[in-house]
Amino acid sequence: MIENPWVLPAIWLGLALVATLLSIWLRIATALSEIVVGTVAQLVIGAAIGGAVLGTDQSWIKFLSGTGAILLTFLAGTELDPAVFRLKWKEASVVGLASFAAPFLVCTAVAFWLLHWSGMASWLTGVALSTTSVAVVYAVMLELGLNKTNYGKTLLAACFVTDLGTVLALGMIFSPFTYKTLIFVAVSAVMFVVLPWLTPKFFKRYGGRPSELEAKYLLLLLFGMGGLALWAGSEAVLPAYLIGMVLAGTVGKDHVLVRRLRTVTFGLLTPFYFIRAGSLVSVPALLAAPLIFVLLLVAKVVSKFLAVLPATKIFNGQKAKEGKVEGIYTTLLMSTGLTFGSIASLFGLTHGIIDTAQYSYLVAAVIASAVVPTLIANAFYLPRHLLYEKDKASQAPDAEAKQA
Amino acid sequence: MIEIKKILVAYDTSEPAQRAFEAGVDLAQKYSADLIVLSVARPPEPPGMVETEAVLENAQEYYEKQFIKLRETAATAGVKARFEVRVGHPAEQIIHMAHEEGVNAILMGHRGHGFIKRWLLGSISKRVITYAHCSVVIVR
Repeated sequence: MIENPWVLPAIWLGLALVATLLSIWLRIATALSEIVVGTVAQLVIGAAIGGAVLGTDQSWIKFLSGTGAILLTFLAGTELDPAVFRLKWKEASVVGLASFAAPFLVCTAVAFWLLHWSGMASWLTGVALSTTSVAVVYAVMLELGLNKTNYGKTLLAACFVTDLGTVLALGMIFSPFTYKTLIFVAVSAVMFVVLPWLTPKFFKRYGGRPSELEAKYLLLLLFGMGGLALWAGSEAVLPAYLIGMVLAGTVGKDHVLVRRLRTVTFGLLTPFYFIRAGSLVSVPALLAAPLIFVLLLVAKVVSKFLAVLPATKIFNGQKAKEGKVEGIYTTLLMSTGLTFGSIASLFGLTHGIIDTAQYSYLVAAVIASAVVPTLIANAFYLPRHLLYEKDKASQAPDAEAKQA
Repeated sequence: MIEIKKILVAYDTSEPAQRAFEAGVDLAQKYSADLIVLSVARPPEPPGMVETEAVLENAQEYYEKQFIKLRETAATAGVKARFEVRVGHPAEQIIHMAHEEGVNAILMGHRGHGFIKRWLLGSISKRVITYAHCSVVIVR
């Protein structure tokens, strides 16, 4: 084993740097690149030197990795627009719940009846594959200029509802319902009411100093509530996401603070989380039965499609062919979901709900669910009406001149 | 005779893009045309949680800083110029904005990416030439 305490962190940050460079060169998400680098590193280093070299089970690596997941989830929660959500909560809830429930139930059924996995492993499969990437939908909405329309706002809010469903399912299904659960729920309820009121006042009075009081306050909250969740048998990312959502209107609007948190999160913490998640994937298990992950991927994409496409039709309000293509495009991209999928899978592995092989199939399906729908959407369903907007083109000066 | 009232310059801060901007200012001055300078922020594929917002914010700020100098150049030349940052695939956003604004000419630099990058990203200038409704000038 390596005695020097700085060698292992140097190896991990070296891998993080390689992953970041790859993500820059290939223009892919850093999380995706880190998972893949983690898998390859474990495979290569494991074969050449020994599987224990990366030290994935060392407590400090687990701590940094867990903190990365908590902070990332918290920051994801802060991206919610509370004003839009208040305005569109009914529509968002319908689309969001459909988008969560369909893949959750279908993937659970596929794992249980077709793959003959245990009940708990099947539920976890449902949770891991029910997610939707808010980031993907957000980027698409910006690209299409739909982020300011009711349709775009509703879909974005719906993605938060879907992920909330995933996080709630992850935090509740696998924990025994005891008095601890009640205490956790009661404390959470009080915190969620008090925090939006207390936090801005506290920051106004003591914040904005080099001592970084805000970061300490938020980390205390996240660790405190995470600890309480774990004590109750739940998962620390559940309160983190909810705290992010309730503080979206205050902390989420403070761009300077959010940026400082992002620096810590992406610079140090999430590389440990994603590289660790990737390093736990067993490539031999995947190669032994590749059809399992293909089946899980198909189950996720098809069920998401069946649930979300009708919803996009209802809320888009466009009858034209372009609206249909746009709906398919959006639906395909709502089938992606990398971060919460990997969080749920890792939760399953570390809590003994699934084994390494099942974890590997799930992570592969989660990665494929992030990559394949994006590739299909870009290749076949790019909304070409962006290029041929007849109405707007007819307002062009050339057209006006011709009319004159 | 070609009528040029509005010119779109695709600007990614590279040297060829800088040359395209300078050519755009010259043309705009010559034809008393309006100039639109477009930069495109490209989200990672697939866009990652939290990272996407960070990438887009970063790009917006970066381009806004670059625009300061360009604004001065355009103002000195007496050219009416507008600067904008959009999100998405560069070729599509360039073509889309050209349609939307009814520009008469698009000017863009030629990056000359290597084979792998071209294979992964596709040639932006080639796509713009194929789909644009107006004249396209590739500045080398």
